[in-house]
Amino acid sequence: MYYYVYDEFIQDPRFERDLALIETRLTDLGIAGKIARLALFRDPKELIKDEIRKGAKTIIAVGNDVTLRRVIDAATDTKAVVGIIPLGKENMMLSDILGIPMGVEACDILSARIIEELDIGEVNGRRFLHTASVSQASGAEVLVNRTYKLKAFKKCSLEVRNLALEEDDVRAANPIDGMLECVVRTPTKGFFKKQKWNTSIVPAKNLDITFNETVTCSTDGDEFQSNNLCFKIIPKALRVITGKGRRF
Amino acid sequence: MAKNQGSETIIAHGVRVEGDFVSDGDVVIEGEVAGTIQAAGDLKIGELAKIGANVIARSAIVAGEIRGNIQVAEKLELLSSARMIGDVTAMVLSVSSGAQVNGKITMDGREVKIKKEKEENGEE
Repeated sequence: MYYYVYDEFIQDPRFERDLALIETRLTDLGIAGKIARLALFRDPKELIKDEIRKGAKTIIAVGNDVTLRRVIDAATDTKAVVGIIPLGKENMMLSDILGIPMGVEACDILSARIIEELDIGEVNGRRFLHTASVSQASGAEVLVNRTYKLKAFKKCSLEVRNLALEEDDVRAANPIDGMLECVVRTPTKGFFKKQKWNTSIVPAKNLDITFNETVTCSTDGDEFQSNNLCFKIIPKALRVITGKGRRF
Repeated sequence: MAKNQGSETIIAHGVRVEGDFVSDGDVVIEGEVAGTIQAAGDLKIGELAKIGANVIARSAIVAGEIRGNIQVAEKLELLSSARMIGDVTAMVLSVSSGAQVNGKITMDGREVKIKKEKEENGEE
């Protein structure tokens, strides 16, 4: 049974036509299902968990990365398969990495059901699929796999990657390798030149990071503050529908 | 800086490692290390690196400073800027002109045992 979770923002009249096309295509493909509409005071986690208990096997987020993250929060550790129909213009990175096209074209991909089991990262009890990052932290001390410590001499930025694209100084992070990648960037000297970074990359299953001060940690669009971050990887915790054009 | 491949670990300049560093993959060190290093893959120690540790690796290329003993199962290359203060054990050794070696060199073909990361974490 399919269960579709519509984000609050797509209930705007400008998405009416897109939604009508999507609903028609889903019916044609025989994968139409129950629809839930998120609202300000409606807890999506409870809503989705309740529906999984009632027998929903596939949960589809209709919206953007934020919608998908809410669905993931509720669906990890269950046998439910998660998917996305991307709509809108912002926060579309996850659907791009998963190889899901925008709008009605996503319906055919969902129907093909190429399912991957992905690892999930966890930081202080919060789960993330993509990355968790802290910018400009001083006195960072990273305990890797509880065996050795990594200390940055200067202020540094930290990123812990589970599913991420290749960047200038870092390769793509693979969400099916059972590892997180801790990326520590420290600035190099240079007055008039563009700021450059020395990049350290450490694959790990567990990371305990402490800071001299309270820092803001961003995880897949969500933010929280702490001076101690405990990361771990949960292997194959999430079953996701991906497209042929997935980028991992 | 080169991009990391597979499970390659990179310790950049400006970062210090303390403790028993164990890696199943390749390792590039440009920063500082105090403790021990065990790399099941290839180890590269950059020109700016300062290592105060006993090192065990499958093969190694050294351009920086090592204060400690190094054991390499296959080939050890000491580049011209390398500074070794400790004993060297290797199957094959290459020393460039200008490299400093202050210690005993053993090339008797003895087996070098490298600890795996999984063994370190107590996993099967």
